[in-house]
Amino acid sequence: MGQSIKHAWRITSIVGCLGVLCGCWDNRDIDHRSLPVTMGLAYHDNLYDVVLQIPEPQSNGTNIRIIKQSGKTINEAVDKISERMESSVDLLHLKLILIEKGYAQQGLTDSISSFMRSRDISPKAIIAICNEDLGPFFDFVKKSMSPKGTTLYDCFEKNAGWNPQMALTHIWQVYRSIHSYTRDIAIPVIKSGKSGTIDYEGSAIIKNGKMIDQITPEETLLFNSFTGQSAQGKIEVMDKASVLVLKSSMHHHSKLIRDTPYLDVQITMKVSILETKGSVSSEVIKQELKEILTKRFNRMFRKTQVREADILGLGQYYRNKIPRTKLRHWRTEYLPKLRLNLKVKTIIQNEGNTKLE
Amino acid sequence: MNTFLKQLQLKFGNNDDFFYLQETLLDTPIVRMGFYSLIDVVRTKLSLQTYIKAAADANLTVDEFKNILGDIQNSTAVDDAITCLLQGKLLIYFEKDDSYVIMEPAPKPLNRAVESPTNENVFLGSLNSFTEDIETNIGIVRKQLLTDNLRVKSFKIGSDEITQLSLVYYEGRANRGLIHKLIDQIEKNKHKQTANLQQLSKKVFGFSSWSLISNFNQTELPQEAVNSLRKGRAILFVDRLPNALVIPGILWDVFCLDSDRNLSLPLMYFLRVLRVLGAFVTIILPGLYVALVSVNPEVLRIEMALSIAQTRIGVPYPAIIEIILMLFVLELILEASIRLPKNIGPTITMVGGIILGQAVVQAKLVSNLLIIILAATTIANSTIVGLQQSLALRISKYVIVVLAAIFGVLGILEGLVLICAYIASLNTYGIPFLGLSKEKDEINHG
Repeated sequence: MGQSIKHAWRITSIVGCLGVLCGCWDNRDIDHRSLPVTMGLAYHDNLYDVVLQIPEPQSNGTNIRIIKQSGKTINEAVDKISERMESSVDLLHLKLILIEKGYAQQGLTDSISSFMRSRDISPKAIIAICNEDLGPFFDFVKKSMSPKGTTLYDCFEKNAGWNPQMALTHIWQVYRSIHSYTRDIAIPVIKSGKSGTIDYEGSAIIKNGKMIDQITPEETLLFNSFTGQSAQGKIEVMDKASVLVLKSSMHHHSKLIRDTPYLDVQITMKVSILETKGSVSSEVIKQELKEILTKRFNRMFRKTQVREADILGLGQYYRNKIPRTKLRHWRTEYLPKLRLNLKVKTIIQNEGNTKLE
Repeated sequence: MNTFLKQLQLKFGNNDDFFYLQETLLDTPIVRMGFYSLIDVVRTKLSLQTYIKAAADANLTVDEFKNILGDIQNSTAVDDAITCLLQGKLLIYFEKDDSYVIMEPAPKPLNRAVESPTNENVFLGSLNSFTEDIETNIGIVRKQLLTDNLRVKSFKIGSDEITQLSLVYYEGRANRGLIHKLIDQIEKNKHKQTANLQQLSKKVFGFSSWSLISNFNQTELPQEAVNSLRKGRAILFVDRLPNALVIPGILWDVFCLDSDRNLSLPLMYFLRVLRVLGAFVTIILPGLYVALVSVNPEVLRIEMALSIAQTRIGVPYPAIIEIILMLFVLELILEASIRLPKNIGPTITMVGGIILGQAVVQAKLVSNLLIIILAATTIANSTIVGLQQSLALRISKYVIVVLAAIFGVLGILEGLVLICAYIASLNTYGIPFLGLSKEKDEINHG
């Protein structure tokens, strides 16, 4: 009997300790948390402006709440917002960070490292640049995206509104590009849409955390297929036909001869014919596709060479060829000298129900 | 009157259903004793008269006739006589040589017939079930398992009241160590008084009575019992208990039925995987709700998080209180539906359904999602084979709920580890609960 009382006492005290020591009373239920989906970030007069877009579930749908605060640090601004709200702000679900163009041009390094450092913002959050003041942009968001709280994020969601000509860049990729010798990154640039949700204006070239130039959506498509994102679904419009890219793959061959890097690239595209004008043969389509893609790619490539920003990550192919001490000069010494030979191979996989001549 | 009769009179004389009749049999004075409530007196008398007639025709002596009637005992064995009387036998005492005969009378019909099972449902399997009568049960097993290797050992245990206990095993397949250990334990603790399975397992077999999962696997299906005999396990029958106690019970009893093997292999695996998933859903789902709603909402997709937040608008309690409240109501419904007579049972189901499904949600006491979780949990809980295991499962989910409320998703993992460790610690005389059921000794001891 005494044994079992001792036993019961021991178990009770363990359970008691569990209850007392764990701090479980700090847990907040999901309905008492505000879950911002988008954070807008600008930097004016040494102060960060933080705008949070918080979907607020109502019993009959979702309202969007836009709250703006400024502070010396991002955290201070978020804290101020949290103070003023009836529920605590929880950045765990932050999916999209929207940065004002002006701030992106000044340099994002500090913010990106603080996002990486913070435990509540996921490094997987998508980053985009807003080519517009944040105030008007979020006014537009509130006005046009009300019934559903996550519309803005859905534009970048791969299984929702993402298109192959949009760059899809996560915070960790930007962080990596800041600290890498051989890789820069492109971030999508958007602004409020005249028709539709948002207007996509191409991608910003980010070098060492600073926006230095911009590429067009068509060039971004090539950038995406170059970096391994699928280019599926994109319609190439040409003079004589439009095609649907079904699959694209890429082969590289890199060599370094007397400090001059050479790179052979072959892009293989499997396409399906959507529309034709007049009578065209498959050879003509292939030829035209090749010309367009080569022209586009060369333009983008020249831009990266001039800007010394390696958004395609070409330096990655030379990491085992250039010694580490010299690798830090990749952008300035090697990239401008790089000779790139692009081959485009097109396979028409499907001509549609009517055959080509 | 001699001491033997005196003792019996003293023992049973003040029972109104005890008869004590002095008669003559083949001109010898005898005393007939027994219980009206256990013996069909008229039919017994008729058969006795037939015996007597036959004996008279054949000119048998009294001694020869005694041999025909039944076992002859010396009158010194009073205790045996008492036991036999209590078991419903007819005692015929011969005053002349101070001996008695135990005769098998026509019994009162106090046993129900062999019927289909009431607590376990059979899907494409044999429909017999065990009854309260131990002899019938052993008979059913013998019928199911036609082999000369079947061994039955019967014991009478208890001091004040005697219970019959039978150990049935398959010679050559059962683990000899286990059988010896079981027989030893029963022999050693024969005199201990046991009134229920709890006492039996603690006093006779020395198992812990605080164990969540019993060392016996109870089944009322002869097919299942016989299958475990074939797999080298032993069965215990207790008189008046309409179940076979399969010993040792192992984990796979929870998921596998022998009647599954009447289906084709893919179907069998489908059913078994379904049961395993059901067990996981039962123990994890309520905890997962608590963890995701109150501790780790970041695990959810944002759309899901928003829609959950939407269902919880205006719910006054935190998730843990909410779920424990509803689980409690659910347990009450389950228990009530067992207790209630069959014709009132559906009422409870209906009332419970309305309360849980509609009213609680409309009153904003709990969220919609919780109702779905609870329904899924309860349904999943019932996929497990056997009621006692599903009870253990019902209890263990609370461990996970509490840990999930404290540590979130990590708490669920901790709870699972805890449960796994507990299950792994269980054993029956060294045979692990997590072991596989196989005919071990068939190979080793042929």
